Amino acid sequence: MSEVVLKVENLSKYYTMGEVTVKALEDASFEVTKGEFIVILGPSGSGKSTLLNIMGGMDTPSSGNVYFNDELLTAMNEKGLTMYRRNKIGFVFQFYNLMATLTARENVELATEICEDSIDIEDVMASIGLSDRIDHFPSQMSGGEQQRVAIARAVAKNPQILLCDEPTGALDFETGISILKVLKDVNIKYKNTVVVITHNSPISQMADKVIKMRSGKITEIIINKNPIEPERIEW
Amino acid sequence: MKKLDKRLFRLINNTKGQYIAVLAIVVTGLFVFTAVSNSALNLKDSLNDYYVETNFADIFVSAISLPQKLESSIIGESDISEAEARLVFDTSFITDDDEDKVNVRAVSVDKNENKINKLYIKSGKRALSEKDIIVIEQFAVARNINVGDQIKLQINGRQYKFNVSAIAASSEYTYIMENEQAMLPDPENFGIVYIEEDYLRKIYGSKGNFNEILIEINNEDKLDETSEFLEDHLDKYGVKRVIKKDDQLSNSMMKQEIEGLEMMSKSVPVIFLVFAGIMLSSMLSRIIKKDRTAIGILKALGYKNSEVIVHYLKYAASVGVIGGLIGSIVGTALSGAMTNYYLVFFNIPTLTIKVYYDRIIISIILSCLFCIVSGFWGVKGITKINPAESMKPESPGKGKRILIEKIKIIWNHIPFSWKMVLRSIFREKKKFAFVGAAVAITCGMMVMTIWMIDIMDVMFNKHYNEFMKMEYNINFIGFENENAKKEVAENINVEDIEGRIELPFELENGKKSKIVNVIGLEKNTVFYGFEDMKGSKVYIPDDGILISSNLATGLNVKTGDSILLKNFLPNKDDGYVTVKGIIKQSLGINGYMNLNYLNDKFLDKGIINGIYLNSDDDVSSKLKDVKNINTIQSQNDMRSAFEEYTGLINVSMGFMVIFSGLLGFIIMYSMTLMSINERTLEFSSLRVMGFSKKEIFNMLVRENMIMSFIGIIVGIPLGLWLVNYMATSYTTDVYSMNEPVSAISVVIAMILTIVFLISAQFMTYAKIHKLDFMQALKNRIS
Repeated sequence: MSEVVLKVENLSKYYTMGEVTVKALEDASFEVTKGEFIVILGPSGSGKSTLLNIMGGMDTPSSGNVYFNDELLTAMNEKGLTMYRRNKIGFVFQFYNLMATLTARENVELATEICEDSIDIEDVMASIGLSDRIDHFPSQMSGGEQQRVAIARAVAKNPQILLCDEPTGALDFETGISILKVLKDVNIKYKNTVVVITHNSPISQMADKVIKMRSGKITEIIINKNPIEPERIEW
Repeated sequence: MKKLDKRLFRLINNTKGQYIAVLAIVVTGLFVFTAVSNSALNLKDSLNDYYVETNFADIFVSAISLPQKLESSIIGESDISEAEARLVFDTSFITDDDEDKVNVRAVSVDKNENKINKLYIKSGKRALSEKDIIVIEQFAVARNINVGDQIKLQINGRQYKFNVSAIAASSEYTYIMENEQAMLPDPENFGIVYIEEDYLRKIYGSKGNFNEILIEINNEDKLDETSEFLEDHLDKYGVKRVIKKDDQLSNSMMKQEIEGLEMMSKSVPVIFLVFAGIMLSSMLSRIIKKDRTAIGILKALGYKNSEVIVHYLKYAASVGVIGGLIGSIVGTALSGAMTNYYLVFFNIPTLTIKVYYDRIIISIILSCLFCIVSGFWGVKGITKINPAESMKPESPGKGKRILIEKIKIIWNHIPFSWKMVLRSIFREKKKFAFVGAAVAITCGMMVMTIWMIDIMDVMFNKHYNEFMKMEYNINFIGFENENAKKEVAENINVEDIEGRIELPFELENGKKSKIVNVIGLEKNTVFYGFEDMKGSKVYIPDDGILISSNLATGLNVKTGDSILLKNFLPNKDDGYVTVKGIIKQSLGINGYMNLNYLNDKFLDKGIINGIYLNSDDDVSSKLKDVKNINTIQSQNDMRSAFEEYTGLINVSMGFMVIFSGLLGFIIMYSMTLMSINERTLEFSSLRVMGFSKKEIFNMLVRENMIMSFIGIIVGIPLGLWLVNYMATSYTTDVYSMNEPVSAISVVIAMILTIVFLISAQFMTYAKIHKLDFMQALKNRIS
């Protein structure tokens, strides 16, 4: 039986805006196993980013539990969550969010400097095909290159889980595919669990598991027995 | 180097305009603090060393005639440890030029060494024989007198030749003023000479008696007690003045200067540091706002709140350390030059310029702590940034109508660009208040500085042109019959001539008393222009006394009160007189009475001890052989002495103008830069709509114009308050600064403020011109 790294149990998140209560996430439950490539699929406003943020220790739920390797994440204090993000999680964002004043290498080092068990930066940069751009600043790179640096930054920490929030959302088709390929390569090479959230349904074809969401609820969890290579995806 | 630190360096580089601006304010504050406080410390320490080395007297007593035996008899009484009697009088110094009117103060000294107020020999030998003379350094330098030269003095109507045996400095005359009204030293026309005691007494004809005694006491706490004892004990010898060392003219001028420096070292840097602190806090809070997503990323990467806070606090700390270091090093370096500048006025041969390393370290630590605390105020919002929220665009702030919008008649008539300006101001009230406050302080300090330049001129010119109108003030050796006036008038062509009495009295009102010179004047004197506090003309009354406002304050009396005048002359009565008026007097404190009334009540009928006169004649040379004349003072000499120092005064005031202007300049410049950086998106949208760079710049100029206008309006009363504060804290017995600020001074201050603000504005135009608006619209890098 595969090892469960993350377990989500009846997770809900409500926002109160004036007199209106918005249910961003309602009663979500699922498990993430080690080395899995998961796609959380849903339209805008379906609650997938909220779910990702709670899984990443960036936000707290209104109710429900999240376990990371049997440790109750939702009971952790601010310090505990910080250490969780520091050592166990890697984030990739839609808009790359690199530090403009640091080079590609420095952006990666910014993350590895503080974590316990990082991977060699040169190796990671080579894996994502950016060895020749290592000393460039973000402003000197294309969107795809910036996103690769963002992935390298997340991977170099050697996290157990890589959480990617619409990683291809700001990119054209070809660049998007190349990024998905990098994520898949990383998933295989470093054996990280990868969770990608997207509104783009073709991407779900490459996942081992697809979690479909709508209006804050999980509508379906599909186990994909035959995930396809990213190069074969089209949209 | 840690990557966050690398990012910090690049952040500093990217915000270098603002960084340098806030650094400049910290540097200025710390520079003023170290330069001024080091100068004050250097002066204070050197002066104390000098006083210890020369055994500076604790009490100075002057009297009509003191017997020599008093020296030994008084020791042991009322804590007195040492006493030294001496003969002191002013007399004429004979030069080759008959036009020259030069006076010296002749002081008797022991032939070998004095016990109190020892001389500090700069060249030559201290030991004196008959006809030897020691000349004070300032006078010797001004008149090019050297050891071995021969000089001539007119003593008691006769000329005496002396050989200069030494050039010396004296702790009693670090600052040489002929009297309280002189204000500035005039070393070319007034000096001090020291002559062997027995010989001086012989030629002066003082029948073996002295007229001053210097006192040393064991315990300084008993200074008041001993002074009172001396006043009573020596009353029979006609005590004129008992002066404690703090009130001694040269010492009190030094102390005032040191106190002024200390006050400046405490106030000016605080103003600069407070503004630097507010600016730093404001800059950092805006940087944090701009870096919201980057901070979210850092947190998402696992950085702790404290690590992110420390990252931004290092920005503030670097300002403190670099600013503190540059400010205190430059300040320390310049304090040497500044201390040396004081040597123009004060002669302290033991002056040593020390580097106070502990002060440098304390300055840096304090400035660093100050910047960190201010910075913390700006970055404390970091803890509230939620990493998940920070990835999303910030929700727009609540839009609401500003007050003026509700007044439709006005609002509808305001052009669109002005509406934007007004909204922008009202939505950033804190920034608006901060820039306004900086402009107000700049304008206020300008008003004060211009007033100070003005007041020096007004004080002097008013005193010597409008208050005292005589061209010459002639002192007789003693009292003369009123006919002496005629004798003088016969020797020269005079326009106006009046006899006068100038004599010290102790004025007493209850427990308050002051020893001052009371001047007896002819009824309709043309030589004084008295004005009351409201500026109305006042005439010498037939009876009673007019007193200067500072004296009235010191004695706590008002018009109509009766005060006791204690006569120092032996066998003459004391008596009560009524205060008939309180008059303005910028230099010195005095009482003024009708000559006849003064004579009738306290002296003898028909006598005078000096005359005032106006004449185009060669007064000095024509009167040099008149036997009963002691000294001739020319008011013109006083004026030219003042003019010599005007340049120096203007230099220091120039620095004040620059410091004040710098504050307004820097804050206006950096806050405008901040505005440009924050509103790039807004300006970019305007550019897309077709606004030109100039039109956008004009919008900023309009915002700043309104802030500046309000700042200046607030700055004027602030300046007046500062003037009042300065006038109150600087008013002493020697001078009173109760001159109001003129409208022209205010206008000049306003113009200077505006010049600095406009310069700052022009500096920011380059930034607007260089901004890549299109890039700003598509930029998504944190």
